[in-house]
Amino acid sequence: MQHVANLSASRAEPAPAAVAVEGVSHVYDGREGKVPALEDISMTVGAGRFVVIVGPSGCGKTSLLMMMAGLRRQTEGAILCAGRPILDPDPDRVGVVFQEASLFPWLTALDNIEFPLALRRAPREERRRRATEMLNLVGLQGFGARYPHELSGGMKQRVSIARGLVQDPPVLLMDEPFAALDEQTRMTMGHELLRIWSQTGKTVVFITHSLTEAVYLADEVLVMSARPGRIIDRILITLPRPRTYEMMATDVFGRLRDRIWQQIRKAA
Amino acid sequence: MTRPAPATVRWLILLALLVFWELMPRTGLIPELFLPSMTSTLRVLVADWREYAEALMVTLYEVGFAMLIACGFGILAGALVGGLALLRNLLLPVFSSLYAVPIVILYPIFTAWFGIGSESKILFAGVYGFFPVMLSTAAGIRTIDSQLLLAARSMGATLPQQIVRVIIPASIPTVLTGLRLGGALTIIGVVVSEMLTSAAGIGYLVTRYRTILDSAHVFGAILMILLMSILFDLAARAIERRTLTWQTAGRREKETREARPATPVAAPAA
Ligand SMILES: Nc1ncnc2c1ncn2[C@@H]1O[C@H](COP(=O)(O)OP(=O)(O)OP(=O)(O)O)[C@@H](O)[C@H]1O
Ligand SMILES: [Mg+2]
Repeated sequence: MQHVANLSASRAEPAPAAVAVEGVSHVYDGREGKVPALEDISMTVGAGRFVVIVGPSGCGKTSLLMMMAGLRRQTEGAILCAGRPILDPDPDRVGVVFQEASLFPWLTALDNIEFPLALRRAPREERRRRATEMLNLVGLQGFGARYPHELSGGMKQRVSIARGLVQDPPVLLMDEPFAALDEQTRMTMGHELLRIWSQTGKTVVFITHSLTEAVYLADEVLVMSARPGRIIDRILITLPRPRTYEMMATDVFGRLRDRIWQQIRKAA
Repeated sequence: MTRPAPATVRWLILLALLVFWELMPRTGLIPELFLPSMTSTLRVLVADWREYAEALMVTLYEVGFAMLIACGFGILAGALVGGLALLRNLLLPVFSSLYAVPIVILYPIFTAWFGIGSESKILFAGVYGFFPVMLSTAAGIRTIDSQLLLAARSMGATLPQQIVRVIIPASIPTVLTGLRLGGALTIIGVVVSEMLTSAAGIGYLVTRYRTILDSAHVFGAILMILLMSILFDLAARAIERRTLTWQTAGRREKETREARPATPVAAPAA
């Protein structure tokens, strides 16, 4: 695990692209005919950056993320990760965390985290070691033997994050990972995520509907328009790191949140 | 007054039933022809244990093979019907309504085709138990959380890995319920078909002794069938419990005790 110590310095642009989306459009061929979901999306995510995507419901955020994860093929355009096109899921390059923790209920927390390694038939000790390391990283030491139904919502998402990170991919994609959590847990989890992010130096693409969460977490916020989704604004969040809860009460924070809100209102 | 434990109540009810069974015929309230007392039933069982044992062996043999057929074909067909949309749309409505048909009306056909020996019983009971196994297997596969499959795919699981590591474990609970139900039905199927037409087995003993009005022998056979069904159900439930520990909180206490870290760690707020 690499440690990025001097965050404020390394956050300055431009950085080499960890994810590059080039002219991506997508049309769903659904039962009610063709649904254009994404229209000519281009964006780059610099290595080590925390990018948040916001936009009205149904604008194609999840679709875009699925394509970045190689879980769905776009009708047009290319998505590159670490310089190579993503055509199929590749947990060595991209880890994914979903809104529902989607843990396997028949596996313990530790076995859930080991799952991607087990798919690769990694040696048992190696699996255990890596998974335990991840469990500790997300602050769940001592909870490895629990089954998902014995964990709280926040703990489940921690396990899910650990599972997304266990193969040490440079990029972590997160689709509204904290949306199902209560407000307090959500704040704690956001804070925890920033800690994990700064400890591991990952590139994060994070989807949310919460403007506060967006400003609190992001280096930059991308705003998408209503369907068909396009990127209509890119807002740099210049707040210093590490972020603190107190910042939420500052004028800068409020102005940034406001600007995003105006853009989304225009977009919808 | 404290409420007695449910287990205690259950045993008391059973005890009361046994006492009732013994006393009613003895006091003459119910004639022995309708209800032979417990002791006379047990006496018959002991005296003619060889005959009962032989009949039981036949029945168990038939039940065993019938269960193999019901479970094997039921799981196979259920997996196909549940997994393939085309088959599902085509066949599931048919199977679901067939399930409601009293299949016992087909038994005469089975005897016509396969004779009155064990074959007709095995096949009939196999078909009888097939439906619940097939339907619950199909349901188990159909109702798998698609998010789990998506997560597995995102971690690079190939199709065989998705089947072995996600689809099968995720459908085990419903499949096991189907097996318990199907198993119970195969027992019913075998006993009923033995009662209808046969020359061996516990069901046959019931019919034969009933025609000569030997109630104690009839009840002896009934008692054995009861025990057989109960034992099967207990075994099936035990297997379900063992397999599905992750569904119950039973192991939680033990695990948290073991899992408690050596150095004190503050539990995460979330
Ligand atoms: N499999 C599909 N077939 C047809 N249309 C689809 C499919 N998946 C999504 N869509 C449509 O594409 C559009 C974008 O969906 P998507 O889930 O990407 O939106 P989203 O931005 O993630 O929404 P939300 O914020 O509510 O999660 C929606 O209008 C949706 O109805
Ligand atoms: Mg979405």
